[in-house]
Amino acid sequence: MHKRAAFLLVFLVSTVLVTTPVWAADLDGTAILRQVDTNLQPQSYEMYRKLINIEPDGSKKEFVLYSVKKGEDKMVALFLSPASEKGRSTLRLGDNMWLYIPNVGKPIRITSLQSVVGGVFNNSDILSLDYSVEYDALNVIEEGDSYLLELKAKTNAIAYDRLKMWVNKKVKVPTTIECYAASGMLIKTLYYKETKDFGDGLVRPSVLETDSPLYKGYKSVMIYAKITKKELADEVFSLNYLARVEELR
Amino acid sequence: MPSLFCRFILLIFVVFAVVPAFAAEEFSFDLDEFEKKSLEWGGYAELKWEHTDINANSAFSLLDSYGDPRSSLDRFTTTLQLDGNFNKGVVTCNWTVQAYAQQDQEEWADNADIFDAYASIKPTPLATLDLGKKVFKWGKGYAWNPVGFIDRPKDPNNPEEAMEGYIGVGLDLIKSLPGPLQTVALTTVALPVWRDVNEDFGQRDNVNLAAKLYLLYRDVDIDLLWYTGNSRTTRYGLDFSTNLATNFEIHAEVAHIPNQSQKLLTGDGSVAIHEFADTTYLLGLRYLTESDITTIIEYYHNDDGYTENEQNRFFQLVENADRLYQASGDDALYTKANSLSQGAYGQSQSGRNYLYARVTMKEPFELLYFTPGLTAIINLDDESYSLSPEAVYTGFTNWELRLRVSLLEGASFTEYGEKQNENKLELRIRYFF
Repeated sequence: MHKRAAFLLVFLVSTVLVTTPVWAADLDGTAILRQVDTNLQPQSYEMYRKLINIEPDGSKKEFVLYSVKKGEDKMVALFLSPASEKGRSTLRLGDNMWLYIPNVGKPIRITSLQSVVGGVFNNSDILSLDYSVEYDALNVIEEGDSYLLELKAKTNAIAYDRLKMWVNKKVKVPTTIECYAASGMLIKTLYYKETKDFGDGLVRPSVLETDSPLYKGYKSVMIYAKITKKELADEVFSLNYLARVEELR
Repeated sequence: MPSLFCRFILLIFVVFAVVPAFAAEEFSFDLDEFEKKSLEWGGYAELKWEHTDINANSAFSLLDSYGDPRSSLDRFTTTLQLDGNFNKGVVTCNWTVQAYAQQDQEEWADNADIFDAYASIKPTPLATLDLGKKVFKWGKGYAWNPVGFIDRPKDPNNPEEAMEGYIGVGLDLIKSLPGPLQTVALTTVALPVWRDVNEDFGQRDNVNLAAKLYLLYRDVDIDLLWYTGNSRTTRYGLDFSTNLATNFEIHAEVAHIPNQSQKLLTGDGSVAIHEFADTTYLLGLRYLTESDITTIIEYYHNDDGYTENEQNRFFQLVENADRLYQASGDDALYTKANSLSQGAYGQSQSGRNYLYARVTMKEPFELLYFTPGLTAIINLDDESYSLSPEAVYTGFTNWELRLRVSLLEGASFTEYGEKQNENKLELRIRYFF
């Protein structure tokens, strides 16, 4: 009887041990993606970023942006530098994007695939919302110390149809993201680097680099200098307010 | 010794090969440089050279020179634009001023204008009160804005340039809402026309009112516009724009003026004031291809414009004026033609139906910051047109270089066939600070 009980116990333990990897593999990609969003930025914040376009010969062009975001789908970015771009602002409300140029004096609709700064970053990179707002997690597997998430755009209004996102298991922030068009073509690769403490519990990468097979030899870098929580009125995210974004600083 | 020389060359090579690579990896961001200041200012300085070949037999060349036009004109223009703002609490003062000086073979000209200078009082993000001279730029069209009831007409050849505003008082109210109607914004403007105040807007000693109601309904921008006052007749407008796809935007504008009037040269040669109900509209699209080619196409129906027959009468008048002047020195018909030209037949796009097309290709052949483009404006009634290829380079920080050629084509007695210019070469260098 004891032998039988011991056998059953060994069998149960063995079964548990054997099946455990299966459970681990049965990961919740949506939950991981939400955690990634939480770890990258607060729901409502203001942020200062520098964008650097680097040409194959090493020459650079820099842009400084002030951005504010509220909730899942509202974001505004204002160019502070260089002088030729100063005062330009871009607004995103869900899938809608507008560009305001002070001389032109009125906002015009733009598309997520365009780039207001030139180089490898496009408008959707500059006005990026939470990943879980734009993408569904189709699949997740473990690859060493990373999760590999396969993401599909929720609508065809999103700039990239599919993403492959490698997420650091320990800190749950992305390390590499490959962005694909609906045709399957690789548009660009994003690399998150240099983790930094931004205060208020926000510890995340402070540098985002990108390269693209469409721009061989070129590279663009985004440096995050300050990300702080900020309460904002909904009306800040409207066309009528675009000329006044500077006043939020 | 040769080996030392070789090592030196190798060292130089390595230094030059490696330094850019290291340089590319050194990223710094000093946030203190971008601290907000109460006083912010900037602007640009510009140098422009234009060479114009004159269409010596055209109606507007004859009219300009009383039958003795030059064959070409070279012009240098320097422009300085200063803009800025001063912020204190809920009040912000904004200004844009522009001054230019130009010299060609015929004359020197200079001018300075205040484009806008106004104070904004913003007690909350929901409301703004503006007092002073301001540019409104109503409408969704790129080249033309039929609903720009309180704006000066745009130059379709340079629609993104700063414009001069009007003096007035404006109140802006914004409300964001949950649900399909995401934003409602109301802009109301009181625009006086008094002595030395907005005199070029219309009849003097009146205070005019204009309003724009903006709605963001689902993913569509909608404006309802209205103007009334005694300086110009009452007018109503509607515009919208939306994205059909991430790379495809459409827009439209329609303006209705129940009581419009225009100067008209009648069949018997007399000048009449024609009164009519005017409905002017614009349909447009913006399309971006995978290879980053942006195309803007707009169809513009200008109910204020002249028909082909009406324009022919004017061109015939100028031809007759020149014959009379050459034969007898009598400039009576030239004086009459000049009077009809001002604010009527001489306006840019004085015809009825136009097609505007602009194609730009961003950074072709991996040439960063280089944008070649082509702009065409076609008078669909008389089939005359202007065609302007251009190249813009913005690779040097804060510099913009633009080279543009404009070619005008059309038979005699057509709009572009009778313009003063036959073609123009323009080089513009702009430095932003």
